[in-house]
Amino acid sequence: MNRGMARRSIGPTVLLLIAGFTTFGQTLAVEPAQTVSGNTAKPEGPSLDDLGFAKDQIKGDKAEQARLDKRTHMLQMHQRLGLITLAPLIATLVTSGMAVGEHHSATTGVTTLTPFGRNLHAGLGIATVGLYSATASFAIFAPKIQGTPTRGNIRLHKTLAWVHGTGMILTPILGAMAYQQKGLGQKVHGIASMHPVAAWTTTLAYGAAIAAVSFKF
Amino acid sequence: MKTSFTVGLFLLTASTIVAADAQWVLDRSTLTYHVSHILHESEGVSHSARGKGTCHNGQCDFLIAVPVKSFDSGDSNRDLHMIQVTRGSEFPLVSVRTHLPEAMSGASTILVDLDVEFGGQKVHYKQIAFERVAQGTQTKISGTVPLALSDFRIDPPKLLTVAVKNEVPLKVELVWHVQ
Repeated sequence: MNRGMARRSIGPTVLLLIAGFTTFGQTLAVEPAQTVSGNTAKPEGPSLDDLGFAKDQIKGDKAEQARLDKRTHMLQMHQRLGLITLAPLIATLVTSGMAVGEHHSATTGVTTLTPFGRNLHAGLGIATVGLYSATASFAIFAPKIQGTPTRGNIRLHKTLAWVHGTGMILTPILGAMAYQQKGLGQKVHGIASMHPVAAWTTTLAYGAAIAAVSFKF
Repeated sequence: MKTSFTVGLFLLTASTIVAADAQWVLDRSTLTYHVSHILHESEGVSHSARGKGTCHNGQCDFLIAVPVKSFDSGDSNRDLHMIQVTRGSEFPLVSVRTHLPEAMSGASTILVDLDVEFGGQKVHYKQIAFERVAQGTQTKISGTVPLALSDFRIDPPKLLTVAVKNEVPLKVELVWHVQ
C-alpha cells in the first residue's frame, strides 16, 4: 500500500475514535487529525513509490555509471587528440608544395632538386597518421552502451569516419609510392598521382566530421 | 436504532471530510532543458514525468519525478554524455517536491519553493513562478526552473575544450487533474 493511501485510510479510523466521544446531534467542530493525534505536523506528501515507476527506472546502476564515465573519458581523449591531429594534418597540406623536391633560389635563379621538402612532408604525414590512429582508437575502443541507437549529428560524424579512415590508409600508401618514384628521379605516375586527391578528400571529410559534432544543422 | 443511526451519520460525515482531501494526478508533461554552448544551443525534451499531489487540511504536497534517461536531445551521443555528467545511471531520477496552501492552487500565478533532487544532490529553489491555466477538468501549470549545473556539483561538459554555460533552465509544462 502506498503512503498516500495509508494516510487516507487513517481518516475514517480517526473519525470513528472521535465518534466514541460524540453524541448524536453534536457537530464535529474540531479538525480530526489534530483532535486525535495531537500532532499538527503536515503530512509528508507522496513518495516515489506512489508514482508507479518500474523498479529498474528507480534503481541506480553504479556499474553502468562507471561504463559511462570510462566512455566519456575515452571520447574526451578522442576529441582532444582529434584537434591536436589537425595541426600536423594542416602542416602536411601546407608542405605538399615542397614535396616535389625542387628548390628555386631567388638569388641565383637556379632550380635544384632537393629531398628536404619531400622528407619534411613525409615526416609530417607520418606524424598525422600516428596521431590519427591514436585518435581513432579512443573512439573505437570506448565502451558501447547497449540499447542506444545512434541518432543525430553523431551519425554523420561516424559515417564520415569511414571516408577519412579509408583516406588515412590510402593517402600514406600513395604518398610512399610517389616518394619512391620521385626518389628515382621519375615523374609521379600511375595510381600514385592520386595521392593529392586522396589527401584532400581525407582532409575535407575530417574537417566535416569535426563540424558535424560542433555545429547544429 | 439510535446507535446505528449515529454511526451511519458519522460515517457519512467521515466520508465527506475524507473526500475533501484532494489528490492531484499528473496527466501529461513536457520538460525541456536548454544548454548553451558558444557553438550551438541544444534542448532535451522528456514527456515521461510522473507526479502526484495530496491535499490535506488545506495544505498540498506535490511530487514530480522524471527519469534522467528519458530526455531526448535528438543526438544519442549528447544524451549519453548528459547521463554521464549528471550521474544519471547512479541517480536515475530527477525529483521535485513542493508544498503549498490548497487555496493557492486556484491562483493564475503560483509562487512555490521547490526541493529538487538531481544527481545525488538536493537543492532548494525559492519562489519559482508558475502560470496556472484551467482547461476544463484539467489544470495546466507552466514555468521555468532556473537550474544551474554548479548547484548540483555537475562539471559543465566541454565541446572542443569550451564548457557549456552553467545555467541550464528547465522549462516545465504539466497538465494535472483532481482525482
